[in-house]
Amino acid sequence: MRVSCLQENLAKGLSIVGRAVSTRSTLPVLGNILLEAKDNQLRLAATNLEIGINCWIGAMVEDEGAITVPARLLADFINNLPPERIDMELSVRTQTLSLRCARYTATIKGIDASQFPFVARAQADEDEGGSMADVIDGVTIPLEAANLRKMIDQVVYAASTDESRPTLTGVEVRFRSNELRMAATDGYRLSVRSVIFDEAIGPNEEIMVVVPAKSLGELARIAADADDEEPVKVIVAQSRNQILFQIPGNKDEARGSFQWVELSSQLIDGRFPDYNGIIPKSRDTRTVVDTAELLKAVRVAFLFARENNNIIRLTVMPDGKNGADDNKGQLRLTATSMEMGDSVNDIDAQIDGGEIEISFNAKYLIDVLSQVDQPQVVLDTTQSTRPGALRPVGVGEDEYLHVIMPMHPNR
Amino acid sequence: MDYNCAMIAHRTIMHLDLDAFYCAVEEQQDPSLRGRAFAVGGSPNGRGVVTSCSYAARKYGVHSAMPMAQAVRACPDLLVVPTNFSAYRTVSRKVMSKLRLFTPLVEQLSVDEAFLDVTNLPGSGETLARELQASIREELGLPASLGVASNKLVAKIADNIGKDRAAQANAGYPNAILVVPPGQEAAFLAPLPCRELWGVGPKTAERLHELGIERIGDIVRFPAHELTRLFGKHGTDLIHRAQGLDDRPVCTEREAKSVSAETTFSRDIADGQELRRTLQRLADDVARRLRKSGLAGSTIKLKLRWTDFTTPTRQLTLARATDDAMVIYTAVETLFRQLWPPGTPVRLLGVGVNGLAPQPYQPTLWEMETDEFLQAEEQMQRRTKLRDVIRELDGRYGLGTLRRGDNSQ
Repeated sequence: MRVSCLQENLAKGLSIVGRAVSTRSTLPVLGNILLEAKDNQLRLAATNLEIGINCWIGAMVEDEGAITVPARLLADFINNLPPERIDMELSVRTQTLSLRCARYTATIKGIDASQFPFVARAQADEDEGGSMADVIDGVTIPLEAANLRKMIDQVVYAASTDESRPTLTGVEVRFRSNELRMAATDGYRLSVRSVIFDEAIGPNEEIMVVVPAKSLGELARIAADADDEEPVKVIVAQSRNQILFQIPGNKDEARGSFQWVELSSQLIDGRFPDYNGIIPKSRDTRTVVDTAELLKAVRVAFLFARENNNIIRLTVMPDGKNGADDNKGQLRLTATSMEMGDSVNDIDAQIDGGEIEISFNAKYLIDVLSQVDQPQVVLDTTQSTRPGALRPVGVGEDEYLHVIMPMHPNR
Repeated sequence: MDYNCAMIAHRTIMHLDLDAFYCAVEEQQDPSLRGRAFAVGGSPNGRGVVTSCSYAARKYGVHSAMPMAQAVRACPDLLVVPTNFSAYRTVSRKVMSKLRLFTPLVEQLSVDEAFLDVTNLPGSGETLARELQASIREELGLPASLGVASNKLVAKIADNIGKDRAAQANAGYPNAILVVPPGQEAAFLAPLPCRELWGVGPKTAERLHELGIERIGDIVRFPAHELTRLFGKHGTDLIHRAQGLDDRPVCTEREAKSVSAETTFSRDIADGQELRRTLQRLADDVARRLRKSGLAGSTIKLKLRWTDFTTPTRQLTLARATDDAMVIYTAVETLFRQLWPPGTPVRLLGVGVNGLAPQPYQPTLWEMETDEFLQAEEQMQRRTKLRDVIRELDGRYGLGTLRRGDNSQ
């Protein structure tokens, strides 16, 4: 193998695939990154057997070939090089990779590329004998990168991090005709986001998969560097056990660019809980507030609430704090810490309905409010023991909805 | 819960213990076991122990906590029945709710044991005990023994003694009832061996023996100031107990002080990865149980047993209470690193959390739709089980021995 590429491109590629490198594995090769030079491209690949990432960067290939080298050492070395051309050469006999860039040289001992596990790709090379059949014989759905990233950001935080509840560590993704819907819940809150496209993007028959939240988080991160003009392709394997995202690179990116990335992930095998039943069907009180103001008030209350299990109490006061005012409602946020003191913050609110007191986990409110782009949010409540529904004003209920279970402050 | 002793002449406390409970449940499910020598517990091939054994098996000297292999040697015809805790729990719940119908003042001690305060019920202690015993036998088909006295200490000892006497008299379930009338407590205890007293373990018994104290009556006769000098506060407690004095109320809600899980390996393990995997599993288990009871704890404890049976423990206290498996594991792994010289074989691992406090309750969204929630839970449990099997196989044969069918090439 003899190949040359630009330092900034290689560094970028390594930072992308590096996230899939297994840090604690008994298989040494999983701590490595695969480099494969072929067709004037350099493919970088890493996998922890749950997520796999392939990244193609532009390169000049003199001799084709492949090798795996320790991920950490390679990335640290490349990151310290000046933004110039890097020449790499593999000694097949010793399985060592020599690198040269400006006045730096290094040789890194590798492990034979044939030892590296297969990292799923959208298209297998001909000489690999269609080994990717299980991925590609699926459904391909084109999506806008920016849209996809936003959707992921708006649901992924609601997924559970508790590994003992595997299904809830995933995000339910449904494709159907012209609709894409994502939902995540950790049992205490639920975030549902849906996008309706002008034309059909998916099959008529619904495809429903549970994607690990971690994998979607990686996807959102990579999509930040994507070309927004070109769609991200989503491929769901026929056997519904794997999903693959093909993300086109942004070639104009000055800080290093990739040609495209393919992120593949195992899917979570399990039935996602039916959440339709827990979405509140009615409301007694509707409270509309300024998103940024509410977020700030919650953050301030959180300073006290974090000493008290994150409990903040919301008091919805339709007539304002001093009784009959000129119809100016107030939303009061109270947080109490036994040891530190307490805080009471009022913000203006348009209120439709009766007074209510309801306690929420401050962290949950911060999570959702941080992801709302619209200037106003609406909070619908019924009773202080029943879930509250929160969504941005101007967005349909079926487009973005967040449901939070209140806390019992006295238990 | 507060008793004003001046207002009550004496209390009537019952201790109820279901006779060979696990065996009785097994017999209900498989009537062919009736009258046979059988033991519930682990396999005689590993390090399984007897959890419970039928009275027919006891005649051969089989007793609970005995290694199963030894039990089979003592009684070659012994039938070994695997434990079925979920069945025992279900039956136990029925019994306990039955007791709570009898009186709300029930303190459950374990799956098969409870104290009842029946002071305010009409009828003598003995009549009430017969009534309760009969209704448990007739409605739930379970044998039970009861001790009745003016306090918990004597009621429990009365139950034990009643059972022993009945077991010597006949072969089946004891179905015993022993009543110690008020005022007779000290006289009842006097001839019994000191070991019967709560708080007298092998060590105290040994020291008492050196002083020539064998029976509970000997404690009362022994100069009190000598006992307090030798045993300190424990000495005073001993004297009170030996006199049959105990003013502890029946607490209807027993608060868990700690939640722990441990595992004894079927063979000693020296592999760090496998040990850590076990710790992870134990931490998961503890966290799940904490969450289930709405508790969180701040003190994380590691228990380790070397092959010579020495059992060191280490603990650390977190800044805030947790019920998170990851947090518990991280803490316990830190302790493990400090305590475990790599490569040392380990016989037992345990993880515990104490310093428990109720978590201000964050109910789940699915609490309203219980069925849905339970289904999700059940599925989750099945998956956890599967994951444990995979971990186990990975530990034994190397990573990736068992993978999803589509993953192998």
